[in-house]
Amino acid sequence: MISKKRLSRGMFLTIFILSLMAIIAFSIGAAPKQVTLRFVAANHPYTDVIKPLIPEFEKKTGMKVNVENYEENQLTQKLTVEFTSRASTVDVFMTRPLQEGRLFYKNGWYHKLNQYLPAAGWDWADYPKSIVEAVTLNREVYAIPIVTEWKTLFYRKDLFAAANLKVPTTLEELEAAAKKLHNPEKDMYGIVSRGQRGAAVTQFSSYLYSFGGDFIKDGKCVIDSPEAVEAFKYYGRLLHDYGPPGVTNMSWPQAQALFASGKVAMWTDASVLIAGIIDPGKSVVADQVGVAIFPAGPAGARPFQVVPWSVAVAAQSRQKDAALEFLKWATSKQVAKTAQLNGLTMARTSVWNDPEIVKQLYPGLAESANLTGPIAVPYDRPLMTAVGEARDAIGEVIVKAIETGGQADIASLAKIAAGKVDVLLVRAGEGPN
Amino acid sequence: MKKRWDQVGWNEGKRIKWKELGWYLLVIMITIPFIFPLIWIIAAAFKTQAQIVASPPIWIFEPTLNNFKSVFMEQDFARFLWNSSVVAVASTVLSLLLGLPAAYSISRYKQQTLGVFILVARLMPGISFLMPWYILFSKIRMVDTFSALIASHMLVALPLIVWIMINYFDGLPRELEESARVDGCSIQTAFLRILLPISGPGIITATTLSFLFSWNNFMFSLVLSTHRTKTLPIAIYNFVSYAEVSWGNVMAAAVVIITPAIILTMIFQRYVIKGLTVGAVKG
Amino acid sequence: MKEVRLIKAAPAFTEVITLSAKKPFRVNQLIEKNIKWLFPLPTGLFIFLMMIFPVLYTFYVSLTDWDMISGGRISFIGLDNYVNLLKEPRFFNSIKLTLYFTIMAVGIEVVLGVAIALILNRDFRGKNLVKLILLLPMVATPVAIGLAWTLFYEPTIGLGNYALKLLGLPASQWLGSSKMVIPSLALVDIWEWTPMITLIVLAGLASLPQEAFEAALVDGATPLQIIRDVTLPLLRPTILIALVLRCIDALKTFDIIYVMTTGGPGFASETLNIYAYNLSFNYFRFGAASAALVALFTLVLACNLLVLWMRKTYEL
Repeated sequence: MISKKRLSRGMFLTIFILSLMAIIAFSIGAAPKQVTLRFVAANHPYTDVIKPLIPEFEKKTGMKVNVENYEENQLTQKLTVEFTSRASTVDVFMTRPLQEGRLFYKNGWYHKLNQYLPAAGWDWADYPKSIVEAVTLNREVYAIPIVTEWKTLFYRKDLFAAANLKVPTTLEELEAAAKKLHNPEKDMYGIVSRGQRGAAVTQFSSYLYSFGGDFIKDGKCVIDSPEAVEAFKYYGRLLHDYGPPGVTNMSWPQAQALFASGKVAMWTDASVLIAGIIDPGKSVVADQVGVAIFPAGPAGARPFQVVPWSVAVAAQSRQKDAALEFLKWATSKQVAKTAQLNGLTMARTSVWNDPEIVKQLYPGLAESANLTGPIAVPYDRPLMTAVGEARDAIGEVIVKAIETGGQADIASLAKIAAGKVDVLLVRAGEGPN
Repeated sequence: MKKRWDQVGWNEGKRIKWKELGWYLLVIMITIPFIFPLIWIIAAAFKTQAQIVASPPIWIFEPTLNNFKSVFMEQDFARFLWNSSVVAVASTVLSLLLGLPAAYSISRYKQQTLGVFILVARLMPGISFLMPWYILFSKIRMVDTFSALIASHMLVALPLIVWIMINYFDGLPRELEESARVDGCSIQTAFLRILLPISGPGIITATTLSFLFSWNNFMFSLVLSTHRTKTLPIAIYNFVSYAEVSWGNVMAAAVVIITPAIILTMIFQRYVIKGLTVGAVKG
Repeated sequence: MKEVRLIKAAPAFTEVITLSAKKPFRVNQLIEKNIKWLFPLPTGLFIFLMMIFPVLYTFYVSLTDWDMISGGRISFIGLDNYVNLLKEPRFFNSIKLTLYFTIMAVGIEVVLGVAIALILNRDFRGKNLVKLILLLPMVATPVAIGLAWTLFYEPTIGLGNYALKLLGLPASQWLGSSKMVIPSLALVDIWEWTPMITLIVLAGLASLPQEAFEAALVDGATPLQIIRDVTLPLLRPTILIALVLRCIDALKTFDIIYVMTTGGPGFASETLNIYAYNLSFNYFRFGAASAALVALFTLVLACNLLVLWMRKTYEL
């Protein structure tokens, strides 16, 4: 039994030491003297590429760059809280033009870049027009694009060879192939694609376009058009009949894990996800992955190709010149080349034409990019401000379609969803004129 | 001495009692579901991604340390460990400094309304604090420090500590302080010199639980931390990337997060249990 | 120094008196007279300061139409948010799901917890080890646990269906099924918190008066009768407290649902807390979100008042 005296002395000592620790900890918050930039990034291969290169930049310019990275949804959440409070210390950040571009633009959180771009060093002409449009609103460029991704069909070369199947080029062939390779008894499923509410919308988009449907036309939501309803029914039927169980809770991590464990014959999703299935340490089918362009539907071949991520300077940054300097470097040709050599698919044209790089790309990926480019649709979700809520409304229809194999009254469900989206459009001032 | 029907020990009689064996089997069956997922997490931390997603599940495999290497080297987990520790320790210590006297007062003077007010702090959903706190802390330029994090964790720790200690102090007889006071010492000295030293078990309980809740806190830390002050639960998401989830790394990170909590629990097991049962049981 | 004299002094009371002689007598008296205020003041003040702004802020915002979608203009709209909430089917869905989750999780936790406590209620070798193992699910970080259980629940490659297959039961879609998602989430909660109930009840059992049991044994009661007519009634206050404590935390469950389904599939697991989160950080409709948070707070407050009332009725 510890004596009272020793206990109290011990307690005092402990409290003293801990308070000292606390004081030291508090004082870590003291402001340093050199220019220090705060770069808030996403958990993305691009961040992995840029982090080791930052010391070079620091040496060249004498600045210090602190990088933080977060999962994409948490990133948006954190940035929103900081920017809303109008006291953020963020200087440069990664942003998704399609998801939050309009929202952040509307609230004045991006620093406009038009005035800087003509200068040398930015190599602005290196970006194709469609990609530039992706980061422009009201003719103001608000961010620099970094990566592109497009709708792809991943398939198992070995299974196709064994079943003597050709790679599907139409949606009909896709369904037939899925049917042929679907073998639940042997733990093999024909095809997988995202089915989780909001997450599924982006992957469903190419199916929608290929049937002749679209999200919005002239300020009204047209997700209830007959073509769109056909697309919902097809998607629902495809996944219900030939998909794995639990697909309605699957976003890309689950679908990717399934393909990587060899349980599924085909997977339609964004090209960038190839990383997790061709690495032998991560996938049991690493050497059997085939890449094809997304099959054509009744309305033709209409896969999406989008700019999922870009980098911007915060309007609230107090060190804009330094931030711009960093932005210029981080999106430069050299950095883009390094990234492309590491397997990313960047937005600059020059890196695609570089023969050294083309050699390195996974076979089939470069071709699919080239084939997809000319026919691509530049968006994979409704182009509007209240994207999150719209995605959930549309996602609800997708989930119902999958649950019932396309047999539910999709037309009515779609009509209700379209109504909800219309309300959101009007509220944001994006309704019909 | 007569034994209670449920106090029969295990050594009665020399021959194997099948009922005993059956009972032990039952206990094992009860315990396994609770520990199995944790064992699986630990095993997965030593597997490669391909092994983790394999089905049927792989039970026998060659362990790899790669995940832990990634966790500590690529992601700087040592720093996150430090951050989590600083925040947990500081918030716990400060909550003790504030909460012990308050609990004493509420217990001895039956200040019920005050007690209820402090407990109401537990009822607000965490999300309601995020935006207002960020605004508040950024206005006084405190966001980039540990102070904001610590203060937010204290809001969870304080009511917890106060609640546990109120019940603990309620159970301590008043005679000790009364005799001290008769001898002429003031209330506060009686509190400091008499009561606190014998409150060791209660304090350890409160400390351990408060530390655990701070250690595991996710929401507040997400919004109020920057790269310098990032804590472990946020860091676990470092491996949930845009194009892949490195399950092996996630599990290794989970092991890194859970282990200190488990070690702490093992050391203070008796007190943690007591702390959880305080307020539910008299005496 | 007077400190040294303290440590060398032998009986506790002499120490004490020496110490108090050190301070100026007047300050000491002042402290003592006002101790009722002084002691709780820092705590009360801290909590008040930390909470007052968020509480007022949340109430205030719930009366506006603050919405980042329309560019962040804020105008006062009175109780419109609340009226809209009451018209919104998703709101009622979230309340229904919150109650469904809570009742299922806590209900099973209590029954299972009490049963396990009754079984474990004897001295045996390894009792402490078992108690330690039971503690572990409670201290493990919920975020980490959620991610691991997501893998377990994967219908094709997860251990969940593997186990079901071994037992000869049909596979389930777990988190992918609108019907099974809440039970699946509840299972995780049950895994995490049943041990707490067990430990509380075990402590309660240890403090039950012996006489009642001895009397029952003398009367020739069987173990089951004893449990039903003696143990359980005596345990009632303990069980009640444990049950209500869990209810409050279960109503606010966030981490595991956020990590495992964020309210899906569709909205089949969107509890009130998750709904408020979606409104805030997915839809950026802060006004509506604040109203939902006020609703959640009211719900939890109501349950807490229930605790206090039940405590009064059953323990005094």
